[in-house]
Amino acid sequence: MFEDVSRRTFLKGTAATAALAAAGSLSLGAWRDQAQAAEAGGMSGEVRQAPSLCNGCSSKCGLVATTVGGKLYTLKGNETHPYSKGRICGRGHGLAQMAYSDERVTQPLRRKDNGEFEPIDWDTAFKEIGEKVKGIVAKSGPESLAIIQDPRPSGKYYSKRFMNALGSPNVYAHSSSCNLSKESAYMQTMGASNYSTDFGNAKMVMFIGRSYGDGIRPSSVQSLASAKEAGTRIVSVDPRLNNSGIFSSDWVPINPGTDLAFIMALCNVLIEEDLYDHEFVEQNTVGFDEFAAQAQEYTPEWAAKITDVPAERIQELARALAKAAPAASIESGWRAVIGCSYQNSFETARAASAVNALLGSYGAKGGALLTSSPSAGKLTDARFADPAKPEAKRVGNKEYPLALDSAGTNLAALKAALDGSMKGLFFYNSNAAKGYAQPKTWTEALQKTDLVVTIDVQMSETALQSDYVLPEVTYLERLELPEFIGGKKHFVGMRTAAIDKVLPDAKTCDEIFNGLAEACGVGEYFQFTAEDLATAQLATVGVDIDVMKKDGVVELPDPNFKYGVPKFKTPSGKFEFSTEAVGAAGLNPVIGYIPRKVTPKDGEFYIVGGKQGIHSHTMTQNIECLNAISREYHMERLWISAQDAEKLGVQTGDTVEVASSEHTGQVEARVTQRLKPGVVFLPTHYGGDSPVQTRAYQYGIALTDFIPFDMEPGTGSMMSQEVAVTVKKVEA
Amino acid sequence: MARYGMLINTKKCVGCFACRLACQAKNHLEPTEAFIKFHELETGEFPNVYNEIVPTQCQHCEDAPCAAVCPTHATYITDSGVVLVDPEKCIGCKYCMAACPYGARIVQESTGVVEKCRFCYENGEPGNPPACVGTCISGARVFGDLDDPESDVSQAIAKYHAQPLASNLTESKIYYVR
Repeated sequence: MFEDVSRRTFLKGTAATAALAAAGSLSLGAWRDQAQAAEAGGMSGEVRQAPSLCNGCSSKCGLVATTVGGKLYTLKGNETHPYSKGRICGRGHGLAQMAYSDERVTQPLRRKDNGEFEPIDWDTAFKEIGEKVKGIVAKSGPESLAIIQDPRPSGKYYSKRFMNALGSPNVYAHSSSCNLSKESAYMQTMGASNYSTDFGNAKMVMFIGRSYGDGIRPSSVQSLASAKEAGTRIVSVDPRLNNSGIFSSDWVPINPGTDLAFIMALCNVLIEEDLYDHEFVEQNTVGFDEFAAQAQEYTPEWAAKITDVPAERIQELARALAKAAPAASIESGWRAVIGCSYQNSFETARAASAVNALLGSYGAKGGALLTSSPSAGKLTDARFADPAKPEAKRVGNKEYPLALDSAGTNLAALKAALDGSMKGLFFYNSNAAKGYAQPKTWTEALQKTDLVVTIDVQMSETALQSDYVLPEVTYLERLELPEFIGGKKHFVGMRTAAIDKVLPDAKTCDEIFNGLAEACGVGEYFQFTAEDLATAQLATVGVDIDVMKKDGVVELPDPNFKYGVPKFKTPSGKFEFSTEAVGAAGLNPVIGYIPRKVTPKDGEFYIVGGKQGIHSHTMTQNIECLNAISREYHMERLWISAQDAEKLGVQTGDTVEVASSEHTGQVEARVTQRLKPGVVFLPTHYGGDSPVQTRAYQYGIALTDFIPFDMEPGTGSMMSQEVAVTVKKVEA
Repeated sequence: MARYGMLINTKKCVGCFACRLACQAKNHLEPTEAFIKFHELETGEFPNVYNEIVPTQCQHCEDAPCAAVCPTHATYITDSGVVLVDPEKCIGCKYCMAACPYGARIVQESTGVVEKCRFCYENGEPGNPPACVGTCISGARVFGDLDDPESDVSQAIAKYHAQPLASNLTESKIYYVR
């Protein structure tokens, strides 16, 4: 229907008119400019725009792809999406290029006895996997199968449905290496896994280890920048002056993993100096008396010795928070110290949420907000009925009862594989074997299983150790299920096939799971496509799928958010300073102090990791345009404080050897004033072990290699920074 | 006639590289080719330290040294003040690379032309806005007509007292908040 666009033909007759119609909101001028600019780069064909949701991080920002002849030209943020607000960050732009990578998995692969892979066709792959799954179920029961996935709109649905159809309850998110401790903690204290900061009205906000400028969501960076300009006091508690430092009024360098002592001392000051919100505490909380009695011992002087933050500074910050209350709060955090890094991460998150309760900031203008989320309504079509709920409890639920139910701890599946009880593992959009715990432990576990299947777009370390690798199309090439977005306003977003399929033999998420299910004998639950289900789900919220395909993001009816104390969905219906379930898990039911597990001895360093703005986990390190930035700016380097560097005789660019109980590796150093002496910082994207990913292979070092395999009590988080390291200069 | 310029607010730049990557896509650059470069400037000593990220690119100088030295007049300045390169005239001599005080020139491998930021100039007009401005996650970049006192960029320059990078050395048209 469309002709090729060129400088000479683009305005001639119907082709231009038709292309214009297809291009949605593109104005004539914009469309003409795009066509000309594309042609200048040798691209030709019909110019189109189509929406999707980014896959660069869990924000899943709305975006719009402009394509020429079906190939991606440019990306921009979707103006309607509440997270992108018309903007896309660096990792978003970079990840889009994955579609055209020369190092994608191009066809299904089967591992041979000698460890090499051979290409096979899809029918053979499905058939063989199906036979093996059936064999495992017959011999060891369905509870010896598990799937681990980094949640994505279709992936989280199909993963669960597939396992449950087989009779297995073992569905895990990646969370134990992300924000599991935080989300689990907030569920206990306030009955919600997250809260948001009302930046527009806040007088003071305190960040515990999180950096909006490194783990980026455009709307959050905009909110923070605006708050800074409006005079909000922004405090960053972090051993490193991170890339959000430009917005911070205060940088509080702290000993890594001691944030809990700092926060408990804030509570001590608020209570002992009678600065807390009595009305909020009396009416909306339980367990305050036990909490206050215990907090007596957590004085600023006590905390100063542990945290290396002066007592006077802790006092000043607590008083300032109280003065700004209720328009003051501790920000909710994400990964890092509060998410999965230490033995006390869960408790650190509980304590942070307790500060906000003492400040009476929940639901207050400028405080910490609990907002609602939309979801799809009930579906009447029998094809979409859920399979029966498996009778067995998910592996790990007993030992780690505090882990958020929707996530679980995937390390329990790893442990079960180690002890031989987990026979088959599926991975979807997940490089667990490199990113979720000590890689050697994963390797040992994967060798003990009978079947490992990885669904991915590239040959990750996990894929390399699998029996079968099934190639998925990249996110820009596929339609997925709708993603519902909560907050002060409600939205629904969706991925569409925004670019032409690049590799003929790759399949979409739904095609792969439908094929697997059929081969495993549970195809009856998979008699529909993702588009069928998306259409039905959208209909329940009054949205037509054709509108969705065109707009990508649609605002849903206004939930009429109002300030005021929220409803806490805890057993008591109130904010809980003390929780029975936490006591039942063998921990102190009352929020209190727990030290980190490993403390560096003389001559050793704390090591902390962190995200960089252009990368996401280990997923993006091999993307050519992002890897090029890392190399140009030496982003793989280990940060070391100027004081420590001087003692070790290390200068920027020198190679250092980093060693822990588990691993030794070499990397270049970056000497900086932005780091607390005694601490080294390692970006957590590098040190690839997959030789097939040539750009990432052996470039830099990976923090996971250095940590012992361990799990946080209660939640089963990976304790990603419970290790001490030595650092020495490598003489040239 | 408009006179185009830009403001870059380093107090809002977290160094996410979105501008570089959006620019690469828009202008068909290779992964290792970039019109935008980043300079990290750490000042002070622990714990009193400030870190600034300064993105630089062609400053679209009124008194453009690159244009002055170009032997074939491949580099020229439009009536609206945008410094452009005519690929048909560029002989790849690299005089402009040596002359540019901002190091903004690169050799584009696919064409051999010594290229640089062109404000996404197409069809007689700059991008509306240029790709780097359109994607900037924090709004650190503002683009528009410097001669229009009501334009966003003029307003922002006045509000922040933004200054060119090197005083008025080359009468550049990118203003910085630092």
